[in-house]
Amino acid sequence: MLPKDRVACGTRAGDSESGCRVDLGLRNKVAVVTGGARGIGKAIAESLAIEGAAVAIFDREGPSAQEAARAVRDLGARAIGLEVDVSKSEAVDAAVAATVKELGGLHVMVCNAGITRDGPSWKMTDAQWQSVLDVNLNGYFYCNRAAARVFKDQKQGRIVNVASINGLRGKFGQANYTASKGGVIALSKTLAKELGKFNVNVNVVAPGMVLTEMMAAVPPEFQATALAETVLGRFATPQDVAELIVFLVSDRARHVTGEVIKIDGGQYI
Amino acid sequence: MFGWFGKVSFVPFSKVQAFAVHLKDGRLMGSRCKSCGLTNFPPRADCPTCMSEEFELQEITGRGTIYTYTRIDAAPSGFEDVAPYTIAVVDLEEGGRLLGWLGETIPPEEIVVGMPVQVVPRLFEEIQEIRVHYTVERPGTTWGKAPLQPA
Amino acid sequence: MGRVGILGVGHGRFGRRSDATVQELAFEAFRLAMADAGIDRSEIDASVVAAVPEYHKQRSVAGAVQEYLNLNPAPVWLTEVACASGSAAVRTAWMAIKSGVHKVVAVIGCQKMTELSTPEILALMGRVGEVQWESVFGTTFPGYYAMFAQRHMHEFGTTHEQMLQVAVKNHFYGAKNANAMFQKAITMEKALASDSVSTPLCVYDCCANADGAACLILADEDRARAAGDRVVWLDGLGCASDSMSVLRRGDLVGLKAVSEAAKQAYRMADVTPADIKVAEVHDCFTIAEIMAYEDLGFCDKGEGGRFIEERKPYVGSSAPAVNVDGGLKAKGHPIGATGVSMTCEIVKQLRGDCGERQVPDADVGLTHNVGGIGQYAFVHVLRRG
Repeated sequence: MLPKDRVACGTRAGDSESGCRVDLGLRNKVAVVTGGARGIGKAIAESLAIEGAAVAIFDREGPSAQEAARAVRDLGARAIGLEVDVSKSEAVDAAVAATVKELGGLHVMVCNAGITRDGPSWKMTDAQWQSVLDVNLNGYFYCNRAAARVFKDQKQGRIVNVASINGLRGKFGQANYTASKGGVIALSKTLAKELGKFNVNVNVVAPGMVLTEMMAAVPPEFQATALAETVLGRFATPQDVAELIVFLVSDRARHVTGEVIKIDGGQYI
Repeated sequence: MFGWFGKVSFVPFSKVQAFAVHLKDGRLMGSRCKSCGLTNFPPRADCPTCMSEEFELQEITGRGTIYTYTRIDAAPSGFEDVAPYTIAVVDLEEGGRLLGWLGETIPPEEIVVGMPVQVVPRLFEEIQEIRVHYTVERPGTTWGKAPLQPA
Repeated sequence: MGRVGILGVGHGRFGRRSDATVQELAFEAFRLAMADAGIDRSEIDASVVAAVPEYHKQRSVAGAVQEYLNLNPAPVWLTEVACASGSAAVRTAWMAIKSGVHKVVAVIGCQKMTELSTPEILALMGRVGEVQWESVFGTTFPGYYAMFAQRHMHEFGTTHEQMLQVAVKNHFYGAKNANAMFQKAITMEKALASDSVSTPLCVYDCCANADGAACLILADEDRARAAGDRVVWLDGLGCASDSMSVLRRGDLVGLKAVSEAAKQAYRMADVTPADIKVAEVHDCFTIAEIMAYEDLGFCDKGEGGRFIEERKPYVGSSAPAVNVDGGLKAKGHPIGATGVSMTCEIVKQLRGDCGERQVPDADVGLTHNVGGIGQYAFVHVLRRG
């Protein structure tokens, strides 16, 4: 039985020809997007804003976070930009508290902030290893924990942790990165089990190659190899990833939890 | 689903088992006979007065007063790990009576027959399975309620 | 049809009877009752067995007892209403005789409680109350009576010391009863110092699980009169129920089912509380006896604490002497047998057979037998002559 508020596309006056709007239930929800100043994170922030959510952008670069927040406000949504080093738990706790205070609550946590420090394992330094784990794994845990504390008391919440297909499989030169992403997958499944009874869904999105600045650092021959891996013959855009995340945090996905959804154009099947 | 209710459950199924689902989402529900309007707490499917089986659950505030209580020192099976615990019988504002555990906002030495209280829906949080209960707290204690969802 | 009389009584030793099965315990009491009644086994038309099944490994215990007593092929069935099973069996036998269906009926109350392991007993302990809304929070039998006590203390100022005076009395008399589980008197100091079970009740406020059996032989008026003047008549019977759940009762400072049952019994026997000389009441917990004084009309509501404090229920006062065989407190409480045990004691009192525990001029007696936490109540009035 369809909910009463569903209207078929094209039948409601005012629908544009390019598509119809459906209510994803995100109006007036408050979301945090980490690493939200550029790339996938910025696309996520803007896509949530279009659905009516208020967005707090966490990024290690303050000015970039604030600029991204301005862009979101230009879309007509409420937004704040905060400088946050997610590898520091006190910083994360403070930023989440500030979000709740300024935007009036918290309903969605999207963890996306991540770094790479590639190199073969025998040459990888302690600092290369640890710094990637600190941001990509510890950072996700601190954000998830802060969100869990809010979500369990209000008996609702959505968490999406952005991982990678290189976390489902090994990747030469990425011992630190794949370990962190594999860790995020296990972390997310555990949190899904712990928080389900509080009506909190926790899911993982695992992109393959995405057209972002981070990708620009990848040598052309590796990009070609990656493209050949896909069956769709294209890389994801940040918007592709954002669309999936918006769906996962919407009412439409209320029964999806503890799941890992690849979004890789068939790069790893 | 009714088996979610209590620290140890003896009743896995009941016609009023939606009670436990609502409790999980933070709502305390009594029942109302659709035929004659009689309300009950604890909720019951079959009207004791007009015998109708048509009933609905409706939310109650959980406000009430302590009728009596005891601290159980010798616990039965399944409760040894939480003994001693204090149980209270609460006369509810909207009618009916409830038995539940004394909560953290009322230290056992401060409980008094006749004191006003607030019954609060609770989850056993630190276990994998879903188990629900309620505690008897000071008036004004707040708690979270999940948004009402379409069926 | 007329009156129903009790021809014979038999009472075994209560306590931890690891020396016998439930059938063997039943036979001890049956043998004594048959000798007391002076009848032949062939006269017994039917048996009613009172036992609470959950405590026995043998399922459907009534059949096992009937076989061991060699009473086949006479009819037998189990009557069970928790701790009031014994009196329910008496009422059932009375109804069978009054209706003319049977002439002579044996009532056998028998119970083993010590066959179960501690975990099994602890599991049963938690299911005494209403299991859907109450047991899920860990209620126990003492817990319920503790809540009654808490309210009684709040409304009437009853004190824990007054409650323990009931225990002191009952152990005083139990020490004179060779069949009682506990054969020593106790002091108030010892009682007050005992471990808490469920506030305000401590160990000495609570009766003990026990094994044991008691037996009665009931007969119609013709058969009873033929037995001579030792017969005791079952002249008044009252019975009522109340909600199992304390959430659907009114006040918890008395048992409505008891007041109702007492009214019926007094009316049927054409007596008032003032006529009762000796009574056996259901002191599963000390507060239960205090509420019994009030519910039976031996004193006013709320005055039960003062009643025991003034030693009114002891032998020698103008009020009914209560539980002068030690009550559940000193005898132990083999649940199915208790109601039958109470009846045995009253019969012996009315016959003048109780030696140093004898209540002088006992002509009218009463048994008060409650099941569970007051959802079943049976009050019987017995008369000599």
